[in-house]
Amino acid sequence: MSDTGASVLRARGLRKEYGKGAGLVRAVDEVDLDVASGETVAVMGPSGCGKSTLLHLLGGLDRPTSGELWLAGQRLDRMGERALARLRRDAVGFVFQAFHLMDELTAVENVELPALLAGRPARTARRRASALLDRVGLADRARFLPSALSGGQRQRVAIARALVSDPQVVLADEPTGNLDSQATVEVLRLFEGLHEAGQTLVIVTHDSRIAATADRLISMRDGAFIDETRLTGGSTGNLGSLAGLNGLT
Amino acid sequence: MGKIRLVGRLVGRDLRRRPGPAMLLVLAITAATATLTLGLVLRGVTNQPYQQTRAATDGPDVVAQIAGFGPVTTGPGHRRHVRHHGPSAPAPASAPITRAQIAAEAGALSRAPGVTRSSGPFPVASAVVRARGLTADVEAEGRSPAPASVDQPKVIAGTWVSRGGIVLERTFADALGVGVGDQVTLNGRPFRVAGIAVTAAGLPYPNLCYYPGGSCVFDLPGPFASRNVGFAWITEPDARALASAQAPLSYIVDLKLKDPAAAPAFASAHGNQPTPTSPTLIPWQAIQSSSGLLVQDEQSVISPGAWLAGLLAIASVAVLAGGRMAERTRRVGLLKAVGSTPGTVALVLLAENLLLALVAAAAGLAIGWLAAPLVASPGAALVGTPGAPAFTLSTVGVVIAVALVVALASTLVPAIRAARTSTVSALAAVSYNAGARTPRRRPRLIALSARLPVPALLGLRLVARRPRRALLSAASVAITATGIVAVLAFHTTVRLRTVGLANGLNDPVVDRDEQMLLVLTVVLVALTVLNAICAAWATVLDARHTSALARALGTTPRQVAAGIAAAQVIPAVPGALLGIPLGIGLFAVAAPGAGVVVPPASWLAAAVLGTSVVIAVLAAIPARVGARRPVSPILQAETA
Amino acid sequence: MQQEVILAMLAKEPSHGYDLRARLRQALGPLGDAMNDGHVYVTLTRLEKAGLVSSEQAAGLPDRPDRKVYGLTAAGQERVTGWLAEVSWPKPDLAEFHLKLIAAAAAGLADPLTIVDAQRRELLRRLRGAQRAALAEPDGSAAGLLLEGIVLRLQADLRWLEACERNWTPRKDPS
Repeated sequence: MSDTGASVLRARGLRKEYGKGAGLVRAVDEVDLDVASGETVAVMGPSGCGKSTLLHLLGGLDRPTSGELWLAGQRLDRMGERALARLRRDAVGFVFQAFHLMDELTAVENVELPALLAGRPARTARRRASALLDRVGLADRARFLPSALSGGQRQRVAIARALVSDPQVVLADEPTGNLDSQATVEVLRLFEGLHEAGQTLVIVTHDSRIAATADRLISMRDGAFIDETRLTGGSTGNLGSLAGLNGLT
Repeated sequence: MGKIRLVGRLVGRDLRRRPGPAMLLVLAITAATATLTLGLVLRGVTNQPYQQTRAATDGPDVVAQIAGFGPVTTGPGHRRHVRHHGPSAPAPASAPITRAQIAAEAGALSRAPGVTRSSGPFPVASAVVRARGLTADVEAEGRSPAPASVDQPKVIAGTWVSRGGIVLERTFADALGVGVGDQVTLNGRPFRVAGIAVTAAGLPYPNLCYYPGGSCVFDLPGPFASRNVGFAWITEPDARALASAQAPLSYIVDLKLKDPAAAPAFASAHGNQPTPTSPTLIPWQAIQSSSGLLVQDEQSVISPGAWLAGLLAIASVAVLAGGRMAERTRRVGLLKAVGSTPGTVALVLLAENLLLALVAAAAGLAIGWLAAPLVASPGAALVGTPGAPAFTLSTVGVVIAVALVVALASTLVPAIRAARTSTVSALAAVSYNAGARTPRRRPRLIALSARLPVPALLGLRLVARRPRRALLSAASVAITATGIVAVLAFHTTVRLRTVGLANGLNDPVVDRDEQMLLVLTVVLVALTVLNAICAAWATVLDARHTSALARALGTTPRQVAAGIAAAQVIPAVPGALLGIPLGIGLFAVAAPGAGVVVPPASWLAAAVLGTSVVIAVLAAIPARVGARRPVSPILQAETA
Repeated sequence: MQQEVILAMLAKEPSHGYDLRARLRQALGPLGDAMNDGHVYVTLTRLEKAGLVSSEQAAGLPDRPDRKVYGLTAAGQERVTGWLAEVSWPKPDLAEFHLKLIAAAAAGLADPLTIVDAQRRELLRRLRGAQRAALAEPDGSAAGLLLEGIVLRLQADLRWLEACERNWTPRKDPS
C-alpha cells in the first residue's frame, strides 16, 4: 500500500458534457484525481452519477470535453485514436460489469486475445494466458467456454485478460454488478491479491464490499467528486461489539 | 381490423425510423425486376416488326432463286457463297443459263398451283462495292423504277432506283456508313446512292448463320460462317452490265400464295428439282425467324444475364435481411413481451418486406418498360418498334410474383426463427450478440487466425462466426464473376470472329451483342456494388460488439476497419475463382455454337483480382464508419 | 429512548413536554404508536435532575410536568454537540440515527449530510477490517461465518446510509 510511488494516473479539471443549451448534461464535472502507483482507488456513487463515464475517460475509451489527463506519463486528452489505442493496449486493463467475453472463445483464448491483438506471437500469448489463468485459480477451466462458467469465474477470466499485457493500471467498471455474493467474494480475493502484488487499481462500484478493499474511497455525485475517505489506518472498532457481544445499552 | 391497423402502424414506424436498409432492399429488388421485365418484354418483340415490314413492302410469301452456280472464288481470299447454296445445290456448271431458260422457269413457278401473283425474274449481280475506303460484297438486284407487283422495298430515305443510282438496304448502309447522295463504286463503276430501303424478302446485314446464333436458314458450315453479303437495288440494265464470266447473274422470282401459311410446304414441294435451273425456294417464315435471330441473339444474352441479375438480387436481399435481423430480434422480443402472438410477430416482419417488395416491383416494371424501346430496336432493317403491346398483363403478373417470392423467400426463415425465439432471449440479444443465434465456434480457424496479422485475425474470426453469411457473400461474388467471365468469353469470340470480317465493316450483330452485354455487365456490377456494401454493413452491425471490445483492448480503428474489410474479401476470393469455370460454362450453354471458350489467363486473373480489390474497397467505407463509432455506449449497453 | 434524543429535540427552542411528544410521534411515524407517552416525561425529569435541562413553569398553571416548558442548559447544549459528533455503532439502532438526523436538521446544528458521511466513513473502515479478517479465516471456520455476518450487516447498514444521504440531499426540515 505504498502511496509514495509516482502518479500513474492524473486528471485535472476533467469534464464530459453531452448535448447543448437547455439539454446540456454534465456527466463528469471538473474532476481532479491522482492515483499513485500500487494504490487502489474506489469511486462510489448512485446510478447515473457519471462514474462509469469517468472510468471510460480515464482509460481513453472516450474523449473528455475539456481538462487534462495523464496516464503512464502520457497526455491522453491530446492523443489521436491510434495513439490512444496503443496506450490502451500497453498500459491499461479493463474489467467490465458485463464481462464482455467472446462467447465463441474458450477461457484461454479469451485471455490471450489482447496479446494477439498487440501482435505478440501465438505461442507467447498462449503461454502468458495460461499462466494468468493459473494465477486467478482457473487453470482447470482453461478450455471451457464462457457459457460453461459461473458468473464469478467469467469475471475472473476477464480480470486475467485485463492483466495479460501487464498494464500499469487496471480499470474496473462495476466488476461485481452482475455477481451474487459468493462470486463477489471470489473477485474480492482477487482484488486483494492484486493489491498486495502492487497492481494499481481504479474501481468504480456501488458495492461497499468492493469499495472497502480500496486505500482511498471517493464519493461521486452528479459528475463531481464530493468526498474522499482514506480507508487505510483509522479505527476498525471493537469487532466484538459489532456483533453485539457487549450486551445492549 | 384492429390487428391490421396495428401491424400497419408498427411497419410504418419501423420504416420511418430506419429508412436506410429499406431503401437498399428496394434498390436490390428493383434491379432484379427491371432486368426481368426487360427480358420478358423483349420476348415478343420482333415478330411484329417483321409483319409490319412485310405488309409495308408487300413482301413475298416465297422467294425463288434461280441459276445459282457453285462457289466462285473472288476478292481477297474471301469465300463467297452465292445466295442459294444448299444441300441440293446443282453441281458446278460451266455454261451460263440462257434467258429463255430463266423465263421458262419463272413462268412455271408463277403458274404453280396456289400462286396468286408473282414478280420478276429480277437479275442479281454479285459485285464488290467500295465506299469510304471500305470494301464489301454485295448482291445487287436489278429493278425497274416502276413498282413491282410483289416485294416492292420501302424507301425510307432518298428515292428508288434510277440510272446510275443505287439503293442500299438499310443495315448494309449503316454498316458501310453511307447515306443518300454519297458516291460508291460497284466493281469499279461509280454509282450514286439514290436511296435507302427496307425489305422483307431478305435478311439484315451481315445475315445468316453467324455466331452466336440460333438455327440457320441456310446450312453453312463452320461456326463463323457469316455471309457478310449486303443487298442493294439498281436498275436492270445496270445489273446486267455488272455480269461477267466469273460472276454470272442469278435471278429472283417473288411469289405470293393464296395461303401464305402454306409457304413452307410449297417451298419443299417445288424447290430443289434436279434441273440446271433448279430454283431454291425460301418461305417467308424462314426469313422471319432468321430476321428475328438478331433480337433472339440479344435474348440469348439477356436471359442468362437476367437470371444472373435475379440471383444476385436475391443474394443481396438475403444478406440484407440477415443484417436486419439484428434489429428485428429485439423488436420481436418487445412485441412478444407486450403480448403479441408469434403469428402477429411474423406477420409484422413479413408485411414490411412484402410492402417494400411491391414498391420495388412497381419501380422495376416502370424502368423495364421505359428501357425496353432503347434496348430492343429490332435490327434496323425492320420497320416498327416494340411498344406497349409487348407489355402484357402476364408480364406484370410474373414480375410482381417474382418480387414477392424473393422478399418472402429471404425473410421467411429469419422471420419464423425470430418469432420462435423465446421472449427473454430475444430481449437479451441486444448488441451483445446482434442476432438470434449465438456465433459458431471453429477451433481450427481460431487457432489458425492466431498466427495471422491483426486485420487477418479479425477478418477470419468474423467470417468464422457467421459461416452462412460468408457462404452467401461468396455465392454472390461467384454470380458476378460468372457474369464477368461470360462477358470476357464473348469478347474472346468477338476477337476471333472479327478475323473473319477482314473488310473492316462493323458487324451490327456484334455491336448489338456488345451493347447488350455492356448493359448487363453494368447492371451486374451495380448489383454487386450494392451487395458488397450491404454485406459489409451487415458485418459491421454484427461485429459491433467485437469491434468495440477489440478497440477497448487496444486495436486501432484502422486495424478494425481492415479486419471488417478482410472479412468480406476472404469469402470473395474463392467466389471469384469459382466464377471462372461457371462463367465459361454459362457462355457455352448460352451460345452452343462456339463450344467451350476460355478467355486468356491474364484477363481472368485481372477479373479475379479486380473483383477482390473492388470488394475490399467497397467494404472499407462502412468498415471505417463502423470502426470510428464511440466505444463507450456499446460496452456500457448492459449497464442501465 | 436515549436521553440524548430528547436533549437534541430541545436544541431548537424550549418547548412543552407534549410538544416534544408530538414531534417524536411525527418523526417516528407508525413506529411511534408503540411509544410509551410517559417515557418522555420520565426522561425529562431525569435530565433536569442531571442538570442538562431546566424547566420553567408556564405562568398561572399548577406545578405539573406536562405544563412545564423545558429548555437546554449550557451543559445540555454541550452534551448534544458531543452526541451529534459521536459515531459509535454498538448495535443497529436505526431509530436513533434517524432521529439524530432530524433533530440536527431542525435545530440547524449540523448538516445531516455531514453526519451521514461521517457515519459512512466509519462503517466503511469497520467493514474493511471485518472483511479482511473474514478473508483471512480458513474456509468454513465458525469465526469466519460470524465475521461474514458482521460484514453483511455492515453492508446493509451502509446501503441504508446511502438511502439516507439520497433522502436528505434535497429534503428540507421535516418539522
